[in-house]
Amino acid sequence: MVLELQKPRPIWQIMFSTHHTDVGLLYLITSLGFLFLGGALALAIRAELFLPGAQIIGDAMTFNRIFTVHGTTLIFLFIIPFASAVGNYFVPIMVRYKDMAYPKLNAIAFWMIPPSGALIWLGFADFTWYATPPYSIISAPGPAADMWIFGLKILGVSSVLGAINFVVTILKCKHPDMSIGQVPLLAWSFLSSSLIILVAIPTFAAALLMLLTDRLGVSGFFNPALGGDPIAYAHLFWFTFHPEVYVLVIPAIGMMYEIIPRFSRRPIYSYGSGVFAFVLLSIVGFSSWAHHMYATGMSFTEKTVFMVGTLAAVPASAMHVFNFIATMWNGRIRFSTPMMWAVGGIALFFSAGAGGVVNSAMPLDFTTHDTYWVVGHFHLFVMGTIAFGSIGYLYYMFPYVTGRMYNETMGKIHFVMSFIGTVLVFFTQHVLGLYGMPRRIFDYPPIPEWIAMNQIASIGAMIIGVSMVIFLANMIHSSAKGEPANTDDPFGVGGRYYYPFEAKNPSH
Amino acid sequence: MRGMLGISLVLIAVAAAVAIIPAAGVALAAGDEPGEYIDRRVLIWNLFFRMMTVAFTVGAVVSGTIIWQVWRFRESHPKAKPTPYEGTDW
Repeated sequence: MVLELQKPRPIWQIMFSTHHTDVGLLYLITSLGFLFLGGALALAIRAELFLPGAQIIGDAMTFNRIFTVHGTTLIFLFIIPFASAVGNYFVPIMVRYKDMAYPKLNAIAFWMIPPSGALIWLGFADFTWYATPPYSIISAPGPAADMWIFGLKILGVSSVLGAINFVVTILKCKHPDMSIGQVPLLAWSFLSSSLIILVAIPTFAAALLMLLTDRLGVSGFFNPALGGDPIAYAHLFWFTFHPEVYVLVIPAIGMMYEIIPRFSRRPIYSYGSGVFAFVLLSIVGFSSWAHHMYATGMSFTEKTVFMVGTLAAVPASAMHVFNFIATMWNGRIRFSTPMMWAVGGIALFFSAGAGGVVNSAMPLDFTTHDTYWVVGHFHLFVMGTIAFGSIGYLYYMFPYVTGRMYNETMGKIHFVMSFIGTVLVFFTQHVLGLYGMPRRIFDYPPIPEWIAMNQIASIGAMIIGVSMVIFLANMIHSSAKGEPANTDDPFGVGGRYYYPFEAKNPSH
Repeated sequence: MRGMLGISLVLIAVAAAVAIIPAAGVALAAGDEPGEYIDRRVLIWNLFFRMMTVAFTVGAVVSGTIIWQVWRFRESHPKAKPTPYEGTDW
């Protein structure tokens, strides 16, 4: 067993280690740090929107900076590094290899994250996580915008290095006795998402360079004044970032595939359909990017192709949901904290997916485009599915990492409050969108329905904020003073807790 | 159970198609013929409500199933019994 905190070591030994569990621990701590930073910005946004008019944030520019850094932080500095933490910890163990395929490359990929995080936070750009051109080219203030571009560039390189490592580790370093059909579904999820990264990220890397040279005035790719086209940027951006949605969600589903069978005390109902759905999602993820641009004057044929392409993700997603339901069926389910998060995540995954079907149907997209519906939809995915799966897995791996148990009651309170808060915030934002409230606004007219719904959403956000404080206290206290865990079966569900392979960390 | 899954997937696909296909005509005409803006709005909202009905119906069935499972298959349920896999090294 790998028990990172049971044998305390000097911090520098972990920081300069290339062992996969040490790098995983660094990813974990970094991602959680950015979760709290990005979450604090979310609370500021919701506090500002509690009432019309300026509340706690002085001006619209500052508000724009806050939501830009909020989105950038939680997507690129929390979700992706958290998935990397889990992958680093468990993929080598699952494929029964001593480490990642390229340990030094792995450490380099991690150490690119803190400087890029610093660039994003010290710059505090204001042009949204999409870097909206032509504003980002013509008038977004520097050096914040340039720092954001460089930060994202470094993160892109980090993602590609990490993805290469996962692909090679899984395909080339797995134990000779293990066929690809025996690789656990969590490792399959990393294989699928890594392949998406390798195909998708280079496009955005090119777009970022073009954006930078446009800002420097030496090119005009996206600058209408120089004959460029901002919509071209939209295509390049979404070619990367619609598949990136699947990069975010696939590992979270993989984590649920670890939790649900364990706590249902039954093996996964259909391993094959899980693998098939992962592969299918990673392919159809590339057939849907242009549904973000229905409103830009695309031809009907183009729109139809991308509508059908987007809807193609529905069967693959449904296969996962049905696989989970069939696994739980006839089980003897123990609702420990990880299982509660996983089941809550499935329920919200389905709700978020239903909203996505509405977005992808082109006539309806015009109704909801750039409204709070869109904000509610993708936050329901990001928070309700991805963060729920990730946090559930964090509780699941906690005894494995620390050798101690977290406080179960506090974990359950964390879940209940987060679930209620998530529903209050993001379901309400869907309705706000139907009422016509545009996204990315600092102030809004005093329409009674808008005020009421914004207040419900803000209260929900505060509930999530309080739950996260409980979570933080639980993690810190339990890491230091929690009850020693029975690492063979910390949740008392029987069977082996983990895989019949012990990572051999030379530092231990 | 596998049959149930297959049937459920087919039903979802059919339900989505039933909601979307009538919209094809609306979308085909969008932007091509002047003077029909109001009618299209009505049709689009009609489509929206139809799709939401499908989404909520499917969602209610799936969510209801999950809620029932959570209640029925919890380990503290009076009828809960060990699964065949408990005590093995699956």
